[in-house]
Amino acid sequence: MSEVKQNTYWKSLNQLANNQEYQKFVEREFPENATELTDGFSRRSFLAIMGSAVLLASCDFARRPIQKILPYSKQPEDVIPGISLYYASAMPFLGNLTGLVVENHEGRPTKVEGNELHPGSRGATSAYNQASVLGMYDPDRSRKVLKGGNNASVEDFVSFAKSHFADTKQRIAFISEANSSPTLESLKKSTLKKFSNATWTTYEVFGEENALEGTNIAFGKRLRTYNQLDKADVIVSLNDDFMAATHPNSVENAKMVSSRRKVTGTNDTMSRIYSVEDSFTLTGSLADNRLKLKASEIAPFTFALAAALSKRVSGLDAFKNVNNQFSNHKWISVLVDELTNNMGKSVLTTGLQNSAEEHAAVAAINYALGNANKTVSYLQAPHLSDKGATLSSVLEDMKAGAVDTVVLIGTNPSYTAQNLEFTSALKKVANVIHLSDYVDETSKNASWHVNRAHYLETWGDGYSFNGTRSVIQPQIQPLYDGLSEIELLNIIANGSLASGYDLVQRTFKSIHGSSFSAKWKKILHDGVDPKDGFKTVSPRLTSSFSKNVAKALSKKATTGIEVVIRPDSSLFDGRFANIAWLQELPDPMTKITWDNVALMSPKTAEELGVKNEDVVEITTNGKTIKIAAWIQPGHVDGSITLSVGYGRDGIGRVANSYMDFTTGGVDTYPLMGKELYSEAKVSKTGDSYKIACVQDHHSLEDRDMFRMATLEEYKKNPDFAAYLSVHGYAVPGMKEAAEKGENAPVSLFDEQTFPEGEPQWGMAIDLNSCFGCGVCVIACQSENNIPTIGKKEVLRGREMHWIRNDRYYVGEDANNPQAVHQPVPCMHCELAPCEQVCPVAATTHSEDGMNQMTYNRCIGTRYCANNCPYKVRRFNFFNYSKEFLATGTETDIISMAMNPEVTVRFRGVMEKCTYCVQRVNRAKIDAKIETGSPKPADGTVKTACQQACPADAIYFGDLTDENSTVTKMKRNERNYLMLEELNARPRTSYMAKLRNPNPALA
Amino acid sequence: MAQIFPKWTNQVPRKILIGLIVLINAVIISIWYFFSPQYTDVGFAPTQPVPYSHKLHVGKLGLDCQYCHTNVFESKQANVPATQTCMNCHSQVLTDSEKLKPIRESWDSGEPVEWVRVHNLADYAYFNHAAHVNVGVGCESCHGRVDKMEVVFQAEPLNMGWCLDCHREPEKFLRPTEEVTTMGYKAENQMELGAELVKKNNVSPPQYCQGCHY
Repeated sequence: MSEVKQNTYWKSLNQLANNQEYQKFVEREFPENATELTDGFSRRSFLAIMGSAVLLASCDFARRPIQKILPYSKQPEDVIPGISLYYASAMPFLGNLTGLVVENHEGRPTKVEGNELHPGSRGATSAYNQASVLGMYDPDRSRKVLKGGNNASVEDFVSFAKSHFADTKQRIAFISEANSSPTLESLKKSTLKKFSNATWTTYEVFGEENALEGTNIAFGKRLRTYNQLDKADVIVSLNDDFMAATHPNSVENAKMVSSRRKVTGTNDTMSRIYSVEDSFTLTGSLADNRLKLKASEIAPFTFALAAALSKRVSGLDAFKNVNNQFSNHKWISVLVDELTNNMGKSVLTTGLQNSAEEHAAVAAINYALGNANKTVSYLQAPHLSDKGATLSSVLEDMKAGAVDTVVLIGTNPSYTAQNLEFTSALKKVANVIHLSDYVDETSKNASWHVNRAHYLETWGDGYSFNGTRSVIQPQIQPLYDGLSEIELLNIIANGSLASGYDLVQRTFKSIHGSSFSAKWKKILHDGVDPKDGFKTVSPRLTSSFSKNVAKALSKKATTGIEVVIRPDSSLFDGRFANIAWLQELPDPMTKITWDNVALMSPKTAEELGVKNEDVVEITTNGKTIKIAAWIQPGHVDGSITLSVGYGRDGIGRVANSYMDFTTGGVDTYPLMGKELYSEAKVSKTGDSYKIACVQDHHSLEDRDMFRMATLEEYKKNPDFAAYLSVHGYAVPGMKEAAEKGENAPVSLFDEQTFPEGEPQWGMAIDLNSCFGCGVCVIACQSENNIPTIGKKEVLRGREMHWIRNDRYYVGEDANNPQAVHQPVPCMHCELAPCEQVCPVAATTHSEDGMNQMTYNRCIGTRYCANNCPYKVRRFNFFNYSKEFLATGTETDIISMAMNPEVTVRFRGVMEKCTYCVQRVNRAKIDAKIETGSPKPADGTVKTACQQACPADAIYFGDLTDENSTVTKMKRNERNYLMLEELNARPRTSYMAKLRNPNPALA
Repeated sequence: MAQIFPKWTNQVPRKILIGLIVLINAVIISIWYFFSPQYTDVGFAPTQPVPYSHKLHVGKLGLDCQYCHTNVFESKQANVPATQTCMNCHSQVLTDSEKLKPIRESWDSGEPVEWVRVHNLADYAYFNHAAHVNVGVGCESCHGRVDKMEVVFQAEPLNMGWCLDCHREPEKFLRPTEEVTTMGYKAENQMELGAELVKKNNVSPPQYCQGCHY
């Protein structure tokens, strides 16, 4: 046996230092005072409330309250009460659709899943998709049309529009969010034709404008760059976080990347990913080799790479004279070798926020390497071909009083374009019409606010990132009578209210022509339209390319501290700020909930003299904000990363920032400059601010939980993940068991017996695929009615997520560690330690091998959570679902988002991952009725986390089935059990992670 | 010195002891009985918006359960019929009956008739009709002789112990699937037939918590 190098895994700097603070924290199950009722709610008032509750209960014991059954008057076809229906739809994000299949209970959508037929989904989803259900049921969404802030109706708006837009000579500025809808596109064309003085601006802060301009410089056309990452052997990311949900094609990217990194045996290969980045991103944690550079250094690095490549391949002469600090960098020579050895099999990609010239350079490099139309496709999208008016030119017109009417569709520039002083320009315009989900910053300055219908409520259409057309099919009547963007534009263009259904159908009729109704039905059923999407273009470098990039080549990196503003992993640009599931989803890298922070490297923090939670003052572009600092191991020195979307006021109960223990966050938009980065002055203020970070919660305290090797090490020693290889000795008790002819060590606990004929459920999690996005957490929350609890409760370690995603840093160097991700649900141990200590047998073992939690038996001693070595049990300290999830008076709306198949838990009850038992039991019943066997066929039961996972990292199935996928995975030599020495015999196992680093960079 | 306690006080401890035993037993027995679903739930017969008689429709006219409760073999819910189902006949029969006024109003307005739920399981208990009737659990096993009920009432306690009686020994109660909706079905050789059906339908009712509670 060859010796395997042991890695150091750590979650936080405190843990790496193993200091007193960390020791104190992990010794307690919950932080100090977390288990006492100390604040707000005094013990006396609690008793008073409890007293009256007891009184009420005792008067009413005779029979449960009377319930009514309300059957339909006229039975609709296909609806069978108790059986959910599934409809195809799609969610627009940054103008691109992700195909979805929506679960619908008697007309009430409760859960979204990916559509396997849709290229933007391939059956999986992102956290934004999953959370959109809660977004629709948000009681804080705008419910009314407002005229100058006063209540009005849709009819009022229609009659206003009819008279107002009769003047076709007026100067109108349309400002819309990115939208690929062909219906909107044709309405836009007719509107611009009708109003000769109108301009159209597509505005997204984190959109793809630079990428489109980049291909315009390189190829003379605004083209969508579509990276086929599954065809690439080598992927080089230049500050492009293509795996994160913030990327417009994140789900498909993850599907493509993970398909090239599945390893089932030692003969398999993996693609190799290089990431050059400033902050530590998900892509960086997945990358096999990672180089940290400041954001302002990415451009010089890109050009130096192009210059070095120009000596080996033709077509890059524009860069041959570049000579900067990176020209002799080790990475440049390594990348040049790697890329030239993989001509036509590599992808070079640069971040959407990087400059157009960098995009042009990357396009030219891909073209020179022969990647174009092999691994990188350039697509002509009709809605992207026209640049339209830029926001800054429109703003100048507005300030000059040269605009009569502004129509804002979906965007919120008063918040996102604060640096351009949008609001003061808006105040100079007489008529402002704003369509939005919330009465937001922009709505407050609009003469007309029109409440927008959610995509789950309204008809629409659009294209996926790679150009597949789909229809957005509503699942429910608009809860608050909102209008969609096409309905609004139609009112402006035609002066009448038409239904979205008619508008969308008209578009598809014009595309499909004859025998339309059958085609329409199929399009709605499949969720995709098979007819032509975007055209693939064979690009040619323009003759003016060298001239157009020449100016950018001499661009210098910043010398001082720079500030980089990024979309937030949870709230994106702020549009998801009122969705509590996303607010409470820990950031994939920092594990911070409910807040944004100033991320900096340990070295920068030392120079500034700050530690975690110290408030710093950041000044740039003439603006100053104060925000808590957070040390991010692996962050580049001399740079601070901020995320946006927080610090809201008057949006909703979840989004609003009180800067206290309820919700937090700071508005960082004022610091935004013209470019991705800007030089800043940073100083310590001496204040501090509590951040609810979950990274040290539920700690396994350095026990052996994560196993990893490089691909080469795996090939030399396929058993590297075995207990013996890691620890140097076999599992304790194993030898003695083998002597007795048993296959597991003897246990103190009674052995479980599992009856013949019952399926035995098990799970395998492939750590080589998981990249930590966190969609499993939200999918689980949506499926299992898991409450959100607010910042104050998270600070006390009471977060309720059934599956947590642990992020470990690897290596001794805090300035340049690797990072890995490990999802941890309940392990469903066969000899579960939790079951042994429950005084009321509320947690026991089921015949199909699950560790079952019976809520109605639980008395809340929490012994089980104490005795769980994996720390996966969650306790309802309060009646969270009532007090936190459904705040306010309209609890009915949020309760509509609940899954009717799962009990809503009450205060004082323990809960945990159930392997989605409601899905398992449903499949067992269906299989029994259809086939007579209680064993569902392999693949019929998917847990919510498994189904949502875009990396296919989770396998679940029947272990008694020799041919099931999960059984095969568990037979793989990379399969290992977490804390195997405890002999708890978990049913969930892990498959060790592999990396494929370039030996030249070791 | 006079006695502090008169002689009769000698009996006091004994009487208190006996009294206490009687009292405690009475409390236990009354809680045992009066708090049990057998007392609280069985016989619950709320007044419905329409005095629909199962005795007439099922007992006398011979309607099958599935004429109205259409989804019982497919769904977890047996479903209360839509107004439409009533109107199949009552658009022709008894068209101006005063008792049927709510039905006609519902049909005209599209608003549902508000029936009162009779059989109500706790929210934390999952029950699936399809899983039961497809393996031969008869309607009457849980709902009683509906064909004899003028007003529907809860015939069985529907508590967990009662459920487990059958989950433990299904052979005592099972009947051939085609007899599921038959009222008053009685097999001569229930034990042999039941055992045969358990084998034939591969019946293994869950007795673990998670079979029903999640």
